[in-house]
Amino acid sequence: MLYRADFHIHSCLSPCASLEMSPASIVAQAKVSGLNAIALSDHNCAFNLPGFAKICEQQGMACLYGMEVTSSEEAHLLCLFDKLENAMEMGARVYDSLPDVPNQPDRFGDQPIIDENEEILGFAEKFLISATPYGISALLEMVHDLDGLFIPAHIDRQVYGIISQLGFLPDEEFDAVELTAYGDPALALDYSIVRNSDSHCLSTLGDACTEFDIDALTVGNIRSSLLKSRAD
Amino acid sequence: MKISDIQSLDQFTCVQSEYADAEVSSGYTSDLLSDVMAHADEGSVLITIQAHKNTVAVSSLAGVVAIIICNNRPIADDVLEAAASEGIAIFQTAENQFQTSSLIAQHLAGCPAA
Repeated sequence: MLYRADFHIHSCLSPCASLEMSPASIVAQAKVSGLNAIALSDHNCAFNLPGFAKICEQQGMACLYGMEVTSSEEAHLLCLFDKLENAMEMGARVYDSLPDVPNQPDRFGDQPIIDENEEILGFAEKFLISATPYGISALLEMVHDLDGLFIPAHIDRQVYGIISQLGFLPDEEFDAVELTAYGDPALALDYSIVRNSDSHCLSTLGDACTEFDIDALTVGNIRSSLLKSRAD
Repeated sequence: MKISDIQSLDQFTCVQSEYADAEVSSGYTSDLLSDVMAHADEGSVLITIQAHKNTVAVSSLAGVVAIIICNNRPIADDVLEAAASEGIAIFQTAENQFQTSSLIAQHLAGCPAA
């Protein structure tokens, strides 16, 4: 099956994202935008993944459960799982490790936790744009131990990309690197490339996406497909 | 000043001492490694809170001879091992980057505050 995938989408839980980004609205818009595989990847928090999982199942949308984790280097790393419980485990570790700095909604935006019916269940208290104390290598190990994909996000950006933070792309066991829609593929060196929209509002969903010709949307299949694209 | 002069100051604990005692010609204070790579001088001491092995890699490329980790941030063993193999000294301090920069600047100028 050919999956047209956008694996970097923020819900309203991310303070920088639009409040229109409920899991239900994301799935509805993804269909309109011609996507048949998506991942929710909020900043340093998995609280909206259970609602996202339910609505994806109800709507027959193939999905991965993700997060965009901030390393101690303040680089953004996309972490993707095909098992909700593994994503929640990683999410708990990441959220617990954030500094005890509360969000200031007036300044940064709200961080609502939403269920599949768009009901507000509560708010994430800690400011989600903070950095975890974990370095890139430590995060990679945690994600791989939980059978997830580890992908440095938007490496072509001038802020919060691994290259903007370190000055170079380190030699690690990354499953791929992510580029924005028009990012220069030369930046990826020998790594496999995925492109995602990094949407913070509905209108940009699918503006960048990656196609996977695989039987089912699993971490194992995606990893094989990425390795093959690297070999090509 | 030399690297060993940093080691002799009370504020700094040397946590990686396998280094040749080179002259420290200047300092650079930054927590953004791409900025360190672009602007740190050869022979400088890097003042930062970034205590991971990429700090060592960037320091090596830029010719940084010593790294001071501020705010007593923890330093993993793989960082110390990487620094030892590159011969880059690492110090840890409870002081912040501003206080450390001020102190090192005084010593570089040869007029430490009494």
